[in-house]
Formats: sequence, C-alpha cells, structure tokens
Amino acid sequence: MISCEQLSKSYPMGHGQKRVFTNLNLQVAPGQRVGLLGRNGAGKTTLIKLIGGVEMPTSGRVRREMSVSWPLGFGGGFQGSLTGYDNARFIARIYGNEYDQIREFVEEFSELGSQLKMPVKTYSSGMRARLAFALSLTIEFACYLIDEVIMVGDADFHRKCHYELFEKRGDRALILASHSPDLIRAFCDSALVLHQGQGMMYSDVNEALEVYSAL
Amino acid sequence: MTVSRLASGWRIQRRVISALMIRELVTRFGRENIGFLWMMAEPLLFASLVGIMWRYMHGPEEHGVSITAFIATGYIPLTLFRQSVTRATKIFSVNGSLLYHRQVKILDFIFVRFFIEVIGAMMAFVFIAMILGVLNEFPVPANIGALIGGWFLYCMFVFSLCLVLAPLSELSDVLEKLMPVTVYISIPFCGTFTMVSWLAPQFQQFMLYSPFISPMELIRYGVFGDRVHAIWDVTVPISVTMVLMVIGLTLCRRIRRRLVVE
Repeated sequence: MISCEQLSKSYPMGHGQKRVFTNLNLQVAPGQRVGLLGRNGAGKTTLIKLIGGVEMPTSGRVRREMSVSWPLGFGGGFQGSLTGYDNARFIARIYGNEYDQIREFVEEFSELGSQLKMPVKTYSSGMRARLAFALSLTIEFACYLIDEVIMVGDADFHRKCHYELFEKRGDRALILASHSPDLIRAFCDSALVLHQGQGMMYSDVNEALEVYSAL
Repeated sequence: MTVSRLASGWRIQRRVISALMIRELVTRFGRENIGFLWMMAEPLLFASLVGIMWRYMHGPEEHGVSITAFIATGYIPLTLFRQSVTRATKIFSVNGSLLYHRQVKILDFIFVRFFIEVIGAMMAFVFIAMILGVLNEFPVPANIGALIGGWFLYCMFVFSLCLVLAPLSELSDVLEKLMPVTVYISIPFCGTFTMVSWLAPQFQQFMLYSPFISPMELIRYGVFGDRVHAIWDVTVPISVTMVLMVIGLTLCRRIRRRLVVE
C-alpha cells in the first residue's frame, strides 16, 4: 500500500510560492494500476517524484508499505557521462544485485547492442526509455513509477513492456503518467485527474479520460 | 527491531558509498593510463614544485629543518582543504539525478568526495616522504602518533567545513563566487609556511585560534620531532569541528526538504 496523506508541494517563485497541489490524498493498493492524467504543468511529474521520494513534500507525508521503483523518466536515475554498462553496474551495486544477471537482461531487453558502450547522453529518448525500463525491471519492485517515458517507445517496445509488466508481473502496482488515452486504457485500471492543485480519483478509466479531455 | 533496522541501514549505506566512490573515480579519472592514481597527482605536483621553488628561494634549511620537507608537509594538507571545499560547492545539484534512488543520501555525496580527496592527499604524503627520504631530505617520522592525530584533526575539521558549505552553496550563489578568494586569504592562517613558534609572541596566541594551526603543528611535530618547537591546543579544532558538524547536519536536513531535483 502507498498512501499520500494531505500532500502539498510548492516551489519558490520570485518572492512568492507556486503551489503545485494542496492537500492531495491518494492510496494505491498492491496490484492497482493508476493512470495520472493532467494538462502540462498540472503536477504529474511532481507527484511521481514525491511518491518516489526524489523530492520531499512541503507538508503532508508519503507512506510506502511496499517497495517502490525510482521514477522512470528521461533524465533522472541515469548519469549521462557514464556508459549504459556503467549505469547498469552502478544500479547493481546500490541495489545489491548481481551485475552479470543485470547485464544479460539489459542486453536482451533493450536491444541496444554496442550502443551500451557509449555514454548515455548520446542516446535518443527512445533509447533512454529502453535502458530505463531494462534497468528497473532487473530489480523486483512491488510498484513501478513511470513518467511519460513509455510514450516515446516504438510498437515493439510497447509490446515488450506490456509482456514484462502484465504477463510476467501481473500482480505489481503501477503509477503511469501519460497524455496518451490509448496507453492509459491499455495499462491502467483506475485514474487520477490532476487539475488546479486538486486530484480526483476515478475507478473507471474511460470516465477519467472524458473528464480529462474536457479540461 | 531498531537495532536490525540500523544494521541494515548501515549495510545499505556502505554499498551506496562504495558504488558512489567507484562512479566518482571513473567519471573523474577514467580507466585509461594510471586511472585513479591521478587523485594523488595534484597534491603531489603542488607539494613538490612549491617545495623546489622554496628550496631555491630560501636555501636548503630554515630553522634547522629541510625546507623542502617542511613545505611538503604543509602544502599537502592545504591542497586537501582547498580541493575538498571547492568540490563541496553545489554538490547536491550536480549529483541530483542520483537522488532518484532513495537509498542514496545527500550526506553520501559529501562524504564520498571528501574521502577521495583524503585518500589522494595521504597517498601523496607517503609518496613524497619516501622520495624525499631517499634523497635524505625527509626524516623518519619522529612521532607517528602525533602525525596521525594531527592528520585526523585536520581532516575532521575540513569535513565539518564541507558539511556546512555544501548546503550553504545551494542557498546562495554568492558563496560559490566568494569561495576561491576566501580560501586564498585564509592560507596564512593554515600554518602551511610557518610554525607558531617562529612568530612574534603577540601573534602566537592569536594564531592558535585558527582551527588549522594545532593539527598542522601536530603534523610537523610528528615528522620533525624535537627539531621544531611545536605549540598546540587541540580544544580549538575539536570544539570548532563539533559546532560546525551540528550546524552542517542541520542545514543538510533542511536543504533536503527543499531540494529541487531535475
């Protein structure tokens, strides 16, 4: 179970504060697949960062009673100056996993071949997405946090993610931020719509998508 | 339960610190040629070149000790101080992307960078002592205990300084700009080129208020023994270090809550 209790986050803006959201409550049960919907700047990425513990809330708290992945996105979690292999080594070391096992899976899942010997900063966004997914799937988490990044992949990549996340890990929870109705429909069983600092939870994805498109 | 949580936390931090060390060494020095041995290159070059310069400007001996050895023992701690402090500025924003992994803590960043500087400085110190020793310019350390104790106090003070400067540099950009000149101005108070006993009596008491001085005197005493007249008062560095550590840890905790990670 992940619970966000009375979560507020604001960033300094000039002399004032920009409030991203106030007193947001959210509960994610094991195995639940939540889509995050909201217009640009509504706070999807911020919410994912707070749940992932990358940034701290201004007030309120996040309780994680299951293991939560780091937020999978374009930038964070990688070191651009290091190669794909070095990033894999780093992940293996900090999570206490076997590097050989991780390398094998990363090579197979990402299909990046010799590109893995190049610094990550030379990768396209699609290649980053492949590496990010490959790395996080080698560590077994009970909940995966995915920020947009899945969108940039090609059809083959979507199929692979679907296989790894649904068929092999059908019992895992998922929080997925995306603008793509198709992806939300395909991956999620409920959705949170973020708008003007408030969050509304819908157990019907189609209803959430209708509310979202009317915003 | 708390004990087992502490133990597992300690295990995780050890894993993280070693991973961060390897990462820092690979990004900074690469895997080519001498690799991580480069970390002692800077203190070594500084100490030997400045030592040679002084040797030709001031003659072979001053106050009864080899001038090259005297400068070398002073310059290596100075580069440790300068490097550590410079590397501590903006350390959180530079390493921000690593905070995506929850087990990585901001204190790990400060510790890892500082630790690499310490290892580099120690290696350079031993290396230069051996080279100069062969050339008969460096004595066999007279008092190993004083030498190690002095180094320890010096390192702890520099580390506590990093703990304060790292979060402050995130709060204000001015700090980063003022840092090089402040470090430069503080050189006379680091004990690099003088001993307290060489100074006029009215300055001696005043100099001992600098937290660098007593550790430096201890290092000199450890190397040269009774051939130098060392004066120290360890209460100054110890109390300053403890105060700075408390302030630094509090600031780090505060800053973490506000840190914006890209």
